[in-house]
Amino acid sequence: MSGNCSSKFSSDSTGLYVHVPFCRTKCRYCGFYSEPIVEYDAGAIVCAMIAEIQRYKLGESIKSLYIGGGSPSSLTQEHLLRLVNRLTLGCPAAEEFTVEINPGQVDKTLLNELRRAGVNRLSIGAQSFIQRELDFLGRGYTVGCIRKSVQQGRTAGFGNISLDLIFAVPGSDLDSWKHNLQAAIELAVDHVSAYGLTYEDQTPLGRDLAAGVIKPVDEDTDRAMYELTIDELARAGIDQYEISNFARDGFQCRHNLNYWANGSYAGIGPGATSYLQGTRSTNYPDISKYAETVGSGASTVAASETLGSLELACETAVLNLRRRCGIDLVEFKTRTGFDAMQLFAEPIRMYQKRGLINTCQGRVFLTRQALGIADSILCDFAIV
Amino acid sequence: MFFWHFGEILMSTEHIRNFSIIAHIDHGKSTLADRILELTGAVSEREKKDQILDDMDLERERGITIKASAVTLNYEHEGKKYMLNLIDTPGHVDFHYEVSRALAACEGALLVVDATQGVEAQTVANAHLAVENNVELIGVVNKIDLPAAQPETVAEEIEHTIGIRKNECFHISAKKGTGVPELLDAVVTLLPPPTDRSNEQTAALVFDSLHDDYRGVICYVRVFAGSLRVKQKVRFMGNGRTYTITELGKLTPKMAPVDEMGTGEVGYVIANIRGLADVTIGDTITDDAEPAHKALAGYKPPIQMVFSDFYPGNNTDYPKLRTAFEKLALNDASFSFTAHNSPALGFGFRCGFLGLLHMDIIQERLEREHGMNVIQTAPTVSYEVLTKNGKVIRIDSPGELPDITKVAELREPFVRLEIITTSDSIGEIMKLAESGRCRLLKTEYISGTRVMLEYKAPLAEIVYDFYNVLKSISHGYATMDYEFIGFENSDLVKLDVLVNKVAVDALSLIVHRSTAEARGRRLITKLRKAIPRHQFEIPLQAAIGAKIIARETVKAYRKDVTAKLYGGDVTRKMKLLKKQKEGKRRMKNIGSVQIPQEAFMSILDSAELE
Repeated sequence: MSGNCSSKFSSDSTGLYVHVPFCRTKCRYCGFYSEPIVEYDAGAIVCAMIAEIQRYKLGESIKSLYIGGGSPSSLTQEHLLRLVNRLTLGCPAAEEFTVEINPGQVDKTLLNELRRAGVNRLSIGAQSFIQRELDFLGRGYTVGCIRKSVQQGRTAGFGNISLDLIFAVPGSDLDSWKHNLQAAIELAVDHVSAYGLTYEDQTPLGRDLAAGVIKPVDEDTDRAMYELTIDELARAGIDQYEISNFARDGFQCRHNLNYWANGSYAGIGPGATSYLQGTRSTNYPDISKYAETVGSGASTVAASETLGSLELACETAVLNLRRRCGIDLVEFKTRTGFDAMQLFAEPIRMYQKRGLINTCQGRVFLTRQALGIADSILCDFAIV
Repeated sequence: MFFWHFGEILMSTEHIRNFSIIAHIDHGKSTLADRILELTGAVSEREKKDQILDDMDLERERGITIKASAVTLNYEHEGKKYMLNLIDTPGHVDFHYEVSRALAACEGALLVVDATQGVEAQTVANAHLAVENNVELIGVVNKIDLPAAQPETVAEEIEHTIGIRKNECFHISAKKGTGVPELLDAVVTLLPPPTDRSNEQTAALVFDSLHDDYRGVICYVRVFAGSLRVKQKVRFMGNGRTYTITELGKLTPKMAPVDEMGTGEVGYVIANIRGLADVTIGDTITDDAEPAHKALAGYKPPIQMVFSDFYPGNNTDYPKLRTAFEKLALNDASFSFTAHNSPALGFGFRCGFLGLLHMDIIQERLEREHGMNVIQTAPTVSYEVLTKNGKVIRIDSPGELPDITKVAELREPFVRLEIITTSDSIGEIMKLAESGRCRLLKTEYISGTRVMLEYKAPLAEIVYDFYNVLKSISHGYATMDYEFIGFENSDLVKLDVLVNKVAVDALSLIVHRSTAEARGRRLITKLRKAIPRHQFEIPLQAAIGAKIIARETVKAYRKDVTAKLYGGDVTRKMKLLKKQKEGKRRMKNIGSVQIPQEAFMSILDSAELE
């Protein structure tokens, strides 16, 4: 059990997320909002996003920045740097500034420029070190590109590099997954996000699954891969700190920790979500509509909800429990006003009995064996 | 409507004929009744609504008459005036009891068989009943106008199965009216009149009753001796209660009051009787001041043989279901319901029926007349237990079974089962019967291509989907009927189902030892498919006492986790988790196992049948 809920990460800082709604090509498994960049005037949208950024009072309160997508690296160097520079300028207190990049979409120059502009963390969407899997997922680059991107990132001076990996890709087995983990470890990255492949309904992969064209990895193997991930990475000093996230000590993603603390954040760009002062709002997930609203000074918000105090407590618990450190009872009380032990007395007692939840030193957390079936437990915290 | 005896002398019994029509469903009973009503002028063309005797929508739609009713008709034959009382009977043997009630009020009956279908099992059973009641039968071959009609063959079948000579059968088309006037003449000439007992003390048989929201109980009676008069103080001999008759009358088919009703007549009595429970069908009404010495032979009370649990389904709540049952029970004394609470299934009702069709009808009436959505468990039967201290008790569910060490004998109901089928499906039917522990008593060719099989069969096997399988293997041609013959000692065992080592009452069954393992295995296989996987492995066991006879396992799920959960995913994910939680809440807890109620229902509903 690793405990990385150090107070500096769980403090009530605000994160800022910029959603780049473009991709060069859409991956076959991806259900996130993005559009083919060639069909849009990307420069105009970048301008709109900068205009939206200006609506916020940025400044000292922003402690982390994150440009994700879509693929930020699908933008031209000029456009991406324009965004980065605007954020660096506006958020002098940001300690972590991540940009997601796709292997094969970056070069030395861009990485150098990003680093110089204040980006200090790279999240590389590697996904797999097996070419067949990359092709299956529709990633459009080679295994060599991943290694090159990592090396170029290091050369450019990035001291914090994360890799995304996907397990349980059809056709994979424990050995091939172990190969992937070893490859990531050999590259000496600081952080790994490992996701079990999800079949989203409205994606080509989801449709293939429904049509019976592809056979998913069986559940036992899927689970074994997950367990292997935790063990193999830990052996390399990369410890699990959230259901799908692993890091060397001190390299936990500060921006994401803020999500799991249910801290506040601002989301910029089409389809991006903000959570400010207890209200969660989502921008129009439509590039044109978004640009139009920014241009006319209208609200960009397509939907919003303000949480009641109980809802807030439930959400906080669900999010907190994704962390290996779980719910910090003091932090929870401060954020929600509730005593988690009391509010969730019933599920805590029941799952303690089944060995799926532990309590210790003012914290309530999922046990190792609970992680693979976390949703079946978290749902009991989702409503009281 | 004018009646000849109005205000004057009562008609002599010589000029009265009481008869009913016995026919299989769809063989044309109601159409024939309509023709008879038209011929006798009881209904004009203009007023006629097809099939007048069927009161309820459902009856009309299913072609089944549930409640017997009686119509009085005027008829003139060879210059003499006759009063014909047509007493309606239900067509299905589940209503044996009602059939026998109707027949007890008659001297004769028309046995109607469809010329295109031939004799069906139900017809045979009802004909036997008529013969037992000393009711004179006239054979009628109906639908002779249809191209597929085979009146000669069918008449032969009637001769073989019922014993009415084929040359004595009437060939008619009720639809077109062909042969109906001749048949009506035969009612007068061939069927016997009631015995004249007009000088004796009043004795009238209550052969049916119904509840009217405005007038209270309406009794249908047949006067066997003496007469009934308005304002007469009468006594119900069974329970000794006395009432003053406020109205007497005939159904013509509209209610037509009369002042007096003499020996041999049939009509209705209203006497400020509050509820159906105050009247026992088969009771004798007599004069309170000058009572009859002896009550008329009554009826054997209806035996509820088939039981099933009903639970409120979607959009139906428990109190509403109760109200609906109460209303149904008002007009159907042979149906019973008792509140029932199962930890697995929640609140519902255990209902008793005369038979399978009766059960289907109640279910349909619930849905149609009361808009109820119900979930109904597979039917089971009633058992008899002989305890070691010599007591005999009836049990209607496995839960009522006493401790097995106190049981000397466990008896199950047996029926005489008649199946009529085309000869090409005999082999398959025999196999089915054998697998259902039926013992063949008789095989008889009733025509060149049709066979009647007679079995002694355990009712439990018959209610267990026998009819559906029979229909399917005979391509819809076979018909069956059964009659209860008695309880007999049988090698029965209580089969328990354990979910995660906890016995689930609602799933217990009483079964014959020879079929226990197969039934148990089928049940837990279905259960395995219906129970969602849990965080832990769930053993499912079928057991007889402490002996496990079948075992299955619901594997634990290995994976249930959202891979990515960042800021933009929270709202959607929380919704999904709440839904997952709501799903859990709808489940029933059996120990630490959560099972959706629907899953239980699906197991019970389809009767562990494939």
